[in-house]
Amino acid sequence: MAGLTVLSPVAGTVVDVSDVDDPVFSAGLVGPGLAVEPDGVRGTEAVAPITGTIVKLHPHAFVVQADDGRAVLVHLGIDTVKLGGEGFTTHASEGDVVERGAVLVSWDPAAVRGGGRSAVCPVVALEATPDAVETLAQVGTTIEHGQPLLSWS
Amino acid sequence: MSKAQQILDALGGDDNIVDLEPCITRLRVEVENPDQVDDKALTAAGAIAVVRSGAAIQVIVGPEADNIASDIEDLR
Repeated sequence: MAGLTVLSPVAGTVVDVSDVDDPVFSAGLVGPGLAVEPDGVRGTEAVAPITGTIVKLHPHAFVVQADDGRAVLVHLGIDTVKLGGEGFTTHASEGDVVERGAVLVSWDPAAVRGGGRSAVCPVVALEATPDAVETLAQVGTTIEHGQPLLSWS
Repeated sequence: MSKAQQILDALGGDDNIVDLEPCITRLRVEVENPDQVDDKALTAAGAIAVVRSGAAIQVIVGPEADNIASDIEDLR
């Protein structure tokens, strides 16, 4: 399969997924990846990490699937399902075909943090084997949304 | 037996479930009695992992979580 470049969905700082305070993401139970700690000002738009079909769209999380079946999960914050969509605005619908970089959700990571939750955004290559995914951005560096984050071979 | 039925049984059945909601890759379940939850039966039913925190059980099932949750709701 051709290499798939996964873009950062949000602007912020790259975080090792093992440092995410969630046992599922930190252990890579649903796939390997990286996380981005969103910038409170520049990180308010979440974009499609790959070109494909939106197979899941919740206010706080979405999955985009490429034509070849590979799917990338973006989760906006931890335990944010509990917010019931408050503070999140979706700009697309399940089933839509989107170009990578298209804005899918607007949100306020600073408000999520203000509410006592982590706003960190795990980006997961769903059901990929760990050795199929390479990181294209270094942990601790800043990244803009739409910049390369992962390479999925 | 369907996967949804297997998971429902492994969670201790309808009577043991206080709340169940899907979240992309996992079922978040609040149970009455965590001792009635059978982790091995959950993984046998296809769960990738089970994460417990008292009465809050997370069953990691992958991206089909939403579908499994609605199938379970149909059985309850």
